Amino acid sequence: MPSMKKLLSAAAGVLLAGSVSAAADTIRVGIIGPFSGPFALQGKNFQAGVEAYMALNGKSVKGHDIEVIYRDLPAANPAQSRALAQELVVKEKVQYLGGVYFTPDALAITPLLKQANTPLVIFNAATSAIMNQSPLVVRTSFTTAQTTTPLGKIATDRGVKKVISAVSDYGPGVDAEAAFKKSFEAAGGQVVETIRMPLNTTDFSPIMQRVRDSGAEAVFAFLPSGPTTLGFVKAYNETGLKQAGIKFFAPGDLTQESDLPALGEGALGLLTTFHYAVSHDSPENKRFVEAATKAIGSPEQLSFPSVGAYDGMHVIYKMIEATDGKQDAQKAVDAVKGLAWTSPRGPVSIDSETRHVTQNIYLREVVKGPDGKLINKEIETFPNQKDPGLATQ
Amino acid sequence: MPTMAQTEKLAAAPIPGSRAVRDVVGVILIIAAGLAGFWLFPDNLALLTRVIAVALLVLSIDLVVGYCGVATLGQAALFGAGAYAAGIACVNGVTEPLTLILIGAVAGAVAGLLMGTIMLRAHGLAQLVLSIAIVQLFHEAANKASAYTGGSDGLAGLMVGPLFGVFEFDLWGQTAYLFGLALLVVIFIVLKFVVSSPFGMLCRGIKEDPIRIGAMGAFVFPVLLKMFVISGAVAGIGGALAAISTQVVGLDSLSFELSANALVMLVLGGLGSLYGALVGTVIFMGFEHVVSAINPFHWMTMVGALLIAVVLAAPGGLSGLADRVLPSRQRNRGGRA
Amino acid sequence: MQTILSIGIDAFAYGMALFIICIGLSLTMGLMRVVNLAHGAFAMIAGYIASYAARDLGLGYAIAIFLAIIGTIILSIPLERFLFRRIYGSSELTQVLMTIGITFCVIGITNYFFGPTLKTIPLPESLAQPVDVGFKTIAAHRLFVMTCGLVVAAGLWYLIERTAFGIRLRATVDNAAMADALGVRTQVVYAVSFAIAIGLAAFGGVVGAEFLPIEPYYALRYMVTFLVVVSVGGAGSILGAVIACLVLGAVDTTGRYLMPEFGNFFFYAAVIAIVCIFPRGFFGKAQ
Repeated sequence: MPSMKKLLSAAAGVLLAGSVSAAADTIRVGIIGPFSGPFALQGKNFQAGVEAYMALNGKSVKGHDIEVIYRDLPAANPAQSRALAQELVVKEKVQYLGGVYFTPDALAITPLLKQANTPLVIFNAATSAIMNQSPLVVRTSFTTAQTTTPLGKIATDRGVKKVISAVSDYGPGVDAEAAFKKSFEAAGGQVVETIRMPLNTTDFSPIMQRVRDSGAEAVFAFLPSGPTTLGFVKAYNETGLKQAGIKFFAPGDLTQESDLPALGEGALGLLTTFHYAVSHDSPENKRFVEAATKAIGSPEQLSFPSVGAYDGMHVIYKMIEATDGKQDAQKAVDAVKGLAWTSPRGPVSIDSETRHVTQNIYLREVVKGPDGKLINKEIETFPNQKDPGLATQ
Repeated sequence: MPTMAQTEKLAAAPIPGSRAVRDVVGVILIIAAGLAGFWLFPDNLALLTRVIAVALLVLSIDLVVGYCGVATLGQAALFGAGAYAAGIACVNGVTEPLTLILIGAVAGAVAGLLMGTIMLRAHGLAQLVLSIAIVQLFHEAANKASAYTGGSDGLAGLMVGPLFGVFEFDLWGQTAYLFGLALLVVIFIVLKFVVSSPFGMLCRGIKEDPIRIGAMGAFVFPVLLKMFVISGAVAGIGGALAAISTQVVGLDSLSFELSANALVMLVLGGLGSLYGALVGTVIFMGFEHVVSAINPFHWMTMVGALLIAVVLAAPGGLSGLADRVLPSRQRNRGGRA
Repeated sequence: MQTILSIGIDAFAYGMALFIICIGLSLTMGLMRVVNLAHGAFAMIAGYIASYAARDLGLGYAIAIFLAIIGTIILSIPLERFLFRRIYGSSELTQVLMTIGITFCVIGITNYFFGPTLKTIPLPESLAQPVDVGFKTIAAHRLFVMTCGLVVAAGLWYLIERTAFGIRLRATVDNAAMADALGVRTQVVYAVSFAIAIGLAAFGGVVGAEFLPIEPYYALRYMVTFLVVVSVGGAGSILGAVIACLVLGAVDTTGRYLMPEFGNFFFYAAVIAIVCIFPRGFFGKAQ
């Protein structure tokens, strides 16, 4: 097969050389995300973020037209992820890959990047370890450890000394538990018990019974959004834990804006930490929310993946600017190391060591907004947080 | 691929009985279709490799469902066992692809032995539920053992060595595809011999009427268990191929969803014929790929409509074949033997 | 002791919710011999109707339940007439193919029109309150679900064992051709039992929405749970379904309390053990 491969790469090279010499060329960007299936809303948010960025900043960079190609990957499926990435690179000739919601899907793409000479800008997948797999990965979202760590101090500040941790038993849940435990114990607190709940749990009353029996003053929780989060918050209210004064801390995945209408009044007062709230008060965010709402159709569906996609497109635009349309993955990635800008979520920068985004983490409380709808209201800011998961390595 | 089945029928019609000729033609057609895929879709080889891996899984389901009448919605347990065994071996320094395939086959066979021992205790719906419970237990175990399997983040970092020390598994995926195709053809030929051997006939006999076979003096349980082990090896090879070509093993390879999808592909293509398994896989995955590229928001509706249409439009064809699965129904409906 | 009691009551509530949702499927599979994997899809449709009626139109909870049951049955009539009637008596795998197809279509269409977000059914004030039952506080809604479960079980038992329709139904199940010859209009019996099964699915979907929240992927997400409950109880047996739901609810709830990290292991290991000991379910009839 080597001869065949050479032939193909030679052909690809010729095509590229041809495209670069032309004045008004088109640079293709491939976005992989869950556009159907149970996570379709997150994919829609990717698309809204990308479209909002292109609507506000134009569809070309330095005379290079940008064309975005979307590919659907409904659930975590590495084999399909690799097939889609390969198709985008080999067939659609994309120069940049972006998107990716789930960690295994990102891990399936990283081995291809060097050979494909293509950078991957991750809009979501939030496990620290992805960044170590390839030097051509840049991430504009967050990691679970990054958003969770400030909670340790927040809890002790509120006089809480004993916390029980209850997380869903999967990668991000375990990450959240570890990050919280570390920061809370460093701040002088004690995690009295850690519970890992099966992902398909629907009835959380036995868990709440355990929380009550543990004698903890607060519960730290991490669950995937959707039915599980709804069930958990509901059980927290119904079993009387809320009335008993047991506090509730969680990363912001639990109270993402698109879930708030379903959570309803029961969500009032929940404290979560996250990198972005749709209600964030800044001129940049106002512009972004307006453009993204237009792209997604209904304002209730807008949530955090859109801002990851928006900033991801910013990074890709900067990469195109730096390479002037030539396909040079390493140069493109080097160009955005240390890049700083004001995102709709606040000031952010790309860490030049880890290639992960450094950003503010906000403590938010679920309250009723001016129009009666539930929002995450930012009440405290933890500036310039790096990813502790990567920093320690 | 659809034309393959038709041609196969045509080839069979004029010279009934000359099954050997028919099978040779069938195998040649599979190779031809595989190579045609290689030349026609050189940019989609990763997808085609995935189709081959799933086709191996569907073939393995056909062995137990189509030839033995054992209902299963948990075959992905065997596929995933192969995938994780190959993946873990690879991460720990075994990088030779053929060795990895062998490891996958052995792991699949062992898992098949375990699964068969439990599942063959029951029949019908209970059997189906046992298979679901087993695949869920496997899934849970892989999630728990995240130190070895990477849990829900997936097992990454598989550095597979070049095939025969020469051909790299690379971005373009030619090695992976041709390797997969060769595996598929070899396994298909082996399975053809297995199902037409006296052992294969005995399995069919058990499917038709286990009591009569028992009365004739044959032991039903060990025969079915043997088929389960063979089926496990085939599924395990599919899993190992998926692991080698993707370089990541995810929990999805052990899921109920994969098992259910694969069973749907098999029923779509037709039970109890190895060609049906291949045709069903290619049609289902091809359809899914095309429809989801055109409109990701509607592919589920379209796939659903396709399944309904198959049941309504081809009751004599596909479901006629399907009727052979359950012996009790067999007698009422008088399906083809 | 307090803990045991409160785990017990949680288990009972969860089991009863499962029972209401699953009993319809048990009847279709046991009495009509149709493996209806689209059962959850009907429960979900009912949930959407109830959510629309209660949340968007502001109607009462009882009216919403009523509308959901009627609406779902009406929607199911053309499906029964044109699709299900073709697969009565087909092999299980054909039925699986058809009903999975229907499920996919329902999911796709729901997702397109209503979006992928969760739909809640607002409870009336009286059911939303936590109630103090002495040893713990429990949502009033849970007490309501337990009552519903017992009422449904008793009502169905009466219908099948003590009424003329029940006699015709049992006759049709045992030997459709003979029943037909004796003047039982089997088509009508099938249609009515199908409607009852769908109505139960609808009722279960709405009442159980606090346990299994309504969203487009409902039917697929809980398909395994439904199948497990039906087979453990024995298809078609009401008493079997009640016992299966209580046993599985107890195993699940206790497992999640004692060792949540191995909750699923307990559940599926229990399923394997029960199915191995009772291959036809607790009270399944010989096929």
